[in-house]
Amino acid sequence: MATKHLRPLGSKAKRLYVNIMFQVIGRALQAVSEVDDEVCNEARSLPTGFLFQMMVMPKGAGLLIEHVGDGRFKYHRKEAPRPIDLSIKFKHLEHAFLVLSFQEKTSVAFANDRMLIDGDISYAVRMTRILNRLEVFILPKLVAERAVKAYPHNLQLPEKLISAARIYLKVATHFIKTARAS
Amino acid sequence: MSRHYYEFFCPVKVIAGRAALEHIPYELTSIGAKRPMIVTDKGVRAAGLLDPVIATCEDSGLEIVCIFDDVPPDSSISVVRTIATLYRKEKCDSIIAVGGGSAIDTGKAVNILVSEGGDDLAKYSGAGVIKHPLNPFFVVPTTAGTGSEVTSVAVITDEEKGVKLPFTSSFLLPNAAIIDPRMTITLPPHITAATAMDAMTHSVEAFTCMAKNPLSDAYATAAIKKVSQFLPKVMNNPKDVDGRLELAQASTMAGIAFSNSMVGLVHALGHATGAICHLPHGLCMSLYLPYVLEYNLETVRQPLGELLLYLEGPEVYSATPSSRRAEASIAALRNMRNTLYQQCKLPRTLKESGEVTYDQLAAIAKMALDDGAIMFNPKEADLKDVRAVLENAWAG
Repeated sequence: MATKHLRPLGSKAKRLYVNIMFQVIGRALQAVSEVDDEVCNEARSLPTGFLFQMMVMPKGAGLLIEHVGDGRFKYHRKEAPRPIDLSIKFKHLEHAFLVLSFQEKTSVAFANDRMLIDGDISYAVRMTRILNRLEVFILPKLVAERAVKAYPHNLQLPEKLISAARIYLKVATHFIKTARAS
Repeated sequence: MSRHYYEFFCPVKVIAGRAALEHIPYELTSIGAKRPMIVTDKGVRAAGLLDPVIATCEDSGLEIVCIFDDVPPDSSISVVRTIATLYRKEKCDSIIAVGGGSAIDTGKAVNILVSEGGDDLAKYSGAGVIKHPLNPFFVVPTTAGTGSEVTSVAVITDEEKGVKLPFTSSFLLPNAAIIDPRMTITLPPHITAATAMDAMTHSVEAFTCMAKNPLSDAYATAAIKKVSQFLPKVMNNPKDVDGRLELAQASTMAGIAFSNSMVGLVHALGHATGAICHLPHGLCMSLYLPYVLEYNLETVRQPLGELLLYLEGPEVYSATPSSRRAEASIAALRNMRNTLYQQCKLPRTLKESGEVTYDQLAAIAKMALDDGAIMFNPKEADLKDVRAVLENAWAG
């Protein structure tokens, strides 16, 4: 008797969405580290070669970035070249979907035990601040306010728009380069 | 559909009250333990607190196979290894940790090594690394504040690398916590005060921070009520056995509350201050609590206002307009600290502690910003905000 059951369409769509979002956020983290001084300063405290992963348990979609030094990140498309230093693991696809579709703030997801941290907690706090900073740049203010604990009151619209444009341009360029290379 | 979600877990058997220690032999043998080892520190032994534990086991024909009584205030990997070696040599099958946070954390760490095998404690550091139930483990707390007897966390220093290793697993939770007022009756006033304020802070943060939930709320409010009612009584009459038991229970309840809801900025600041200035944890909690609540005020106005009922009782609560209850709760905590200052000189500000210099505030702020507890603070705090709280806490 066949035991494999069909996945509902909604689940497939969520899986695809989460997969795409991880690819976008991974590339955007590399981009924001090249664009924003605040992110660069935060990242500078991480050891060079530091590998950060976000993924869906047990072996679902994920993103992997490396701190290559001087506050800059590099997005890795393939498997980790060595053991990962910090991993934030969503317990289920649904939990990743809630966060990546901005229905649940990252901080609330931590409070709700949606994710496990494997690695140094202080680095996880730092990476959460970096992710929050990225989100306030790349998301419309109304959406960003749902994604982060506090929208920075000192972030003016021109700075937000210029930074967002630069990040999206870098992400798009990275996608094109990836497509050409494969 | 409700967006609310929470988890709550506490499988620790709590054995509390007069003659609670006398239940240890039965409880140990009922889970098959016959050769217990005691892990404690010299202060506990010198205070004679081990005597009733040993006597009760001997009375029931249960031999305490060995006693390690040299746990330092900041326990380390080498201490844990030494105790694990002794445990194996003496063929022990269970651990009774008798003491405060350090002895309890050491007991948890020893239990990892003797249950999982090997000598490399560091490889079990982190969250969820331990996958199997550990050997029988009992805790007899001798302070009323840390709540470590009901938490799934231990912190041990790796002295070679100069870092603190955290261990988190539900398997670290003891099989039983024995709360007996004889164990806290001799606590000196300033330690009674600081540890009770630790329990108070665990409860207040559990009730006001991001992972609060209905079950942790119930434990937190009950603990706040007990500390508010019985700390003044015990400070006036340290030999008040009933009062001591109430404070010890409050500590355990606060431990259950915060281990299921996490804590916030008070703890982030306290951990950093403890690491940099070596101030006792309970004192740090007492120092920072009102200043952090003032910072969080507009975010936590509603739950903080509710706490007035448990801090001051129904008369004051009902006589205070709902719009002023949050401020009245902070005032109640400030009054409590002022009274403790008069009774035992428990410092209310960093300056009063005499152990912190103004120059250290920058380092404390920087370290607090990377502390895990800050993630659960209800209001976002950046370096400037944390520094502002520290400035307020400097001189009041």
